[in-house]
Amino acid sequence: MKRGHVFAFIALAVLTVLALCLNLGFGSADISVSETVGILLRGGSGTAYDIITKIRVPRALSALILGGALALAGYLLQMFFRNPIAGPFVLGVSSGAKLTAALVMIGAAASRVPLSSAAMVGAAFIGSMASLAFVLLISRRVRGMSMLVVCGVMIGYICTAVTDFVITFAQDSDIANLHSWSVGSFSGMTTENVIVILAVTVPALVGSFLLSKPLGAYGLGEEYAVSMGVNVRLLRTALIFLSGLLAACVTAFAGPVSFVGIAVPHIIRRVFRTSKPIILIPACFLGGGIFCMLCDMLARTVFAPTELGISTVTAIFGAPVVILMMIRGKRGGMNG
Amino acid sequence: MDNVKIEARSLCAGYTSDILTDVSFSVRGGEIMTVIGPNGSGKSTLLKTLAMQLPRRGGHVYISGTDADKLQPRERAKKISVLLTERVNASLMTCREVVEAGRYPYTGFFGALTDNDREAASEAIRLTASEEFAERDFNAVSDGQRQRILLARAICQQPEVLILDEPSSYLDLRHKIAFMETVRRLAAEKNTAVIMSMHELDMAREISDSALCLKDGRVFCMGGADGVFTAANMTKLFDVSEEMFERYINTYNKERM
Repeated sequence: MKRGHVFAFIALAVLTVLALCLNLGFGSADISVSETVGILLRGGSGTAYDIITKIRVPRALSALILGGALALAGYLLQMFFRNPIAGPFVLGVSSGAKLTAALVMIGAAASRVPLSSAAMVGAAFIGSMASLAFVLLISRRVRGMSMLVVCGVMIGYICTAVTDFVITFAQDSDIANLHSWSVGSFSGMTTENVIVILAVTVPALVGSFLLSKPLGAYGLGEEYAVSMGVNVRLLRTALIFLSGLLAACVTAFAGPVSFVGIAVPHIIRRVFRTSKPIILIPACFLGGGIFCMLCDMLARTVFAPTELGISTVTAIFGAPVVILMMIRGKRGGMNG
Repeated sequence: MDNVKIEARSLCAGYTSDILTDVSFSVRGGEIMTVIGPNGSGKSTLLKTLAMQLPRRGGHVYISGTDADKLQPRERAKKISVLLTERVNASLMTCREVVEAGRYPYTGFFGALTDNDREAASEAIRLTASEEFAERDFNAVSDGQRQRILLARAICQQPEVLILDEPSSYLDLRHKIAFMETVRRLAAEKNTAVIMSMHELDMAREISDSALCLKDGRVFCMGGADGVFTAANMTKLFDVSEEMFERYINTYNKERM
């Protein structure tokens, strides 16, 4: 590994810890820094203890892991479509996951069946795969990357419209959380949620990392990858599966979160100045975690006690990056 | 004598129907065979099939005597490497990194390069005279330099058979000549069999040891370069009148005489 990359990784690690500390230390309840540190190190009891361990820790951790999952899903989709502005949100994958997850949630609430986190992930996964299937069908017919993105955005709108429709007519006290979830939020995470999130995301991260070598060859071009002995069909299937799973996991727990999947991999590529997946995969994951933790902190604190939707914040910081990318476009981008 | 690196027997190839029928040939180590013929005659289909990009529809291909179907993809990749017309997407890669990508079949699970791999890359860069721009961004170099780097990538794979699909199309005369010289040097030094499609007949005649002419998906004629590159063959192959052929192709040769 080059020295610059080592430094960049150290910087990412430091930023991760810093963002984690900020998220644990700030919130609508006023808990002093020394008290927070004391609770984390020695435990304790009372309201402050509960707030830290039952609210802030699960929330910060889920922002870290889900943010990483989103950035990684974006990176994998970008490799698959050879398009730097592909991502789970713009391709409608998040919205597809949101639709099926909302249907299952409402169905469960109406029939009074308790809904496990794993079932939510499963439902979201079906939606994300359905959206990806649509996008893949379209990508065979249209040439040009901008068309693909436009189609993805349209799929996203359709899914969102149906979701909103369903939610509007399913007003029920049981699904009071549904609204905040459907606009995207890390609030209300429990330790149990975090465990399920870890159980889905970590294997997907490891799986992606193990694909580093063929992914690097695939990045050079499909025909070259074949000529070097890569099983391209298997690789493409794995890419779709992994990115769909990651996006589904994020959506099941936090709802749709926009722009992280595009903006973070782009920034990471710029910082590391490399296209090697073996470096970009862990770096994107950390970068996504940092980005989402910082955005979530802003969402919680800027207008406290009112919370902003997480997508509102990620869009404010993420969308300009995407616009800049498109303007600077062809020169340094993935399409060269 | 038996230095045959690649042999095709009654090869049939195409996408949904046969574009090529009954093509047989063999190329030895150190030999350069050019594939020529009009547009749409099946040159690209032939090269893609030999490079295993397209499944064969009939016939056999043998690599150093082994049936190509029996080779694992990784083993095959150590024996055949390609330079294709597909655009290479290599943003944020230096030229050297593109060359090193050719080591893929030799590296371990995570693709870490050994000193041996780095040495092979450096040698390929030297062989293509690309040292000067090896550390630059691949997207920032000229077309000619890019083509040399892609050739270096193919060389770096240390193949027994090198397949080049119209490698000189985007190069100016000087770079064309330099490119061909490199290919010739490589074939001789590394005992590599080279199969190359091209449109420039003058240059093809100069560089080839043998030639395979395709027309309408069949072998029109083949053999040693001297026997194939005759005015009679070429006018028939490309459906041009002898007068036009003389005017446009043989001009320089006549002036020299």
